[in-house]
Amino acid sequence: MNKVKEKSKTINLNLLNHDKCKSWDYLQDICMTCSICSSSCPVSGVDDFDPRKMVRMVSLGFEDELIQSRWPWICTMCGKCESVCPMGIDIPGIARKVRSLRDRDKVPGILHKGLSMALKTGNNLGLPDEDFIFIIEDVAEEIAEEPGFENFKAPIDKKGANLLTTIHNKLVNTHTEDLKHWWKIFYVAKEDWTVPSKNWEGTSWGLFTGDDNAMKKMAGRVADHMKQLEVKNLLWPE
Amino acid sequence: MERMIDQNVIILGGGITGLTAASELAHLGYHVEIIEKSESIGGHAVRLTCKATEKCVKCGACKVDEKIQIAHSHININIHMGCTLTGIKNGERISVYYRNQQDRKSSSNAEAVIIATGFHPFNPETKPYGYDRFKNVITSLELEKRIKEHNDIKKPSDLTPPEKIAFVQCVGSRDSSLNHLWCSKICCPSSLRMAHLIQTKQPGADISFFYIDFQNCGKDYQQFQTTIHKNFRTIRAIPGDILQTKNNHLEVSFFDPVDHKAKEEIFDLVVLSVGITPNQGNRDLSEKLGINLTEFGFFDTHNQTGMTSKAGIFAAGTACHPMGIEESLSSGIKTAFRVVEYLKNGK
Repeated sequence: MNKVKEKSKTINLNLLNHDKCKSWDYLQDICMTCSICSSSCPVSGVDDFDPRKMVRMVSLGFEDELIQSRWPWICTMCGKCESVCPMGIDIPGIARKVRSLRDRDKVPGILHKGLSMALKTGNNLGLPDEDFIFIIEDVAEEIAEEPGFENFKAPIDKKGANLLTTIHNKLVNTHTEDLKHWWKIFYVAKEDWTVPSKNWEGTSWGLFTGDDNAMKKMAGRVADHMKQLEVKNLLWPE
Repeated sequence: MERMIDQNVIILGGGITGLTAASELAHLGYHVEIIEKSESIGGHAVRLTCKATEKCVKCGACKVDEKIQIAHSHININIHMGCTLTGIKNGERISVYYRNQQDRKSSSNAEAVIIATGFHPFNPETKPYGYDRFKNVITSLELEKRIKEHNDIKKPSDLTPPEKIAFVQCVGSRDSSLNHLWCSKICCPSSLRMAHLIQTKQPGADISFFYIDFQNCGKDYQQFQTTIHKNFRTIRAIPGDILQTKNNHLEVSFFDPVDHKAKEEIFDLVVLSVGITPNQGNRDLSEKLGINLTEFGFFDTHNQTGMTSKAGIFAAGTACHPMGIEESLSSGIKTAFRVVEYLKNGK
């Protein structure tokens, strides 16, 4: 109890400002504080975070405190809270909105670095094109050595293919084995597929940092591939 | 010998509201016909248990017995059991057509009709509490029935007394995802009084309440509220999930707002305090009668005056909005007097 009391002192009620966050369209004001969100949240209790508290803070206008706080970044945006909320409040949307209001250079390290790298180089790792192509071909060769997959090839930048697939950066980094499952299915299903040689990144961390412009840019790259390669279907597994 | 007035009132539904209206009208000399869907009268109220501990707690559950008695014995009241309404015609009088379970068709004529068709208890299967899968997750109405019929509390899984009981409040009420924005009014009084009763019958029973806020439960609420927090563990959070573990124990996940921790705790019995929802047949009935429902599916009675949009047709009780026994009784009485007013002035 003492711990809780001490913590409540850190909120300065003079900062309570109902006009702040008023324009936010997340229905935060109809929250009944039933706490089913916090009871369902997989990260409730981590660093004292819980979604009900975050919704209440928005409702009471504690915008600056939330922006500075770590809490919105603890949320995994899994959406369970929203699915159980009896009032249908878009709680992950609130978390994302708060994140979007932080200075970009104060976005937590890995997200900020990964996204900046993706915007600059086309993928979160900053992996050069030739290294990417080498890895893709190497994995394809390994598959070709397996019985039943003779002559397997990974088609890069194939114009007019039926299906374009993006790549999660970890699949060309630490999890190359995981590329094989999809590709073997394509082979057996006789799918006419391709993978782009540049801007192949499938993740879009602007989703997590609240950066809509970054998301537009990442999605635009995928759209450009489809236009240039004249591919009608997209497999974007992220 | 009762005074007889040559005017007839048909009451749809023989629950506490319908029976109350019937007894008022019958005493005043009107002839009343009750059309009841099921094979017995008394509605939901007849399945509710007396919740007296050392003294009466004014839960109202006993009131229905008296009304049933009157309905069965009063010369002016005629009950048609097991009958469903098939149609209605507005002529010089209102003609109501119905058929019984053997498909035999009948009709009655009346000067006025009262809709007292009651409510449907919320079915909590869609909530993440395993109601349809775990034996020891029950509704508050099932607990009422158990205590009423057996005068004890047992776990359905093995019929032994539960040591640790959780009540989850507001299940199916105040829920915009279900389009149920109302407080059902009955769940707090019913569950809290049952919890007191359990502690009286089974001293030492460990009872927790997961709640949002406790609603008013009668005149001595203030005193009642202090005992709530003294006698029960009250947790201001609705649980997220319930899972079944070994021996039919129930693991309840919730966020404890006191120490800011997510917790999983084992209970023997979980009681879901289910709310009042509009009867599923309301839409069909409203179309047959040519009257309006509210946006939530209850009968629309012009700001609760008892009058519907059609002259001579009235609605009362939980057919109109959620209410407890006391309020249903007064709704039945008030509506009976509205009907009398209407028959004296209008016809």
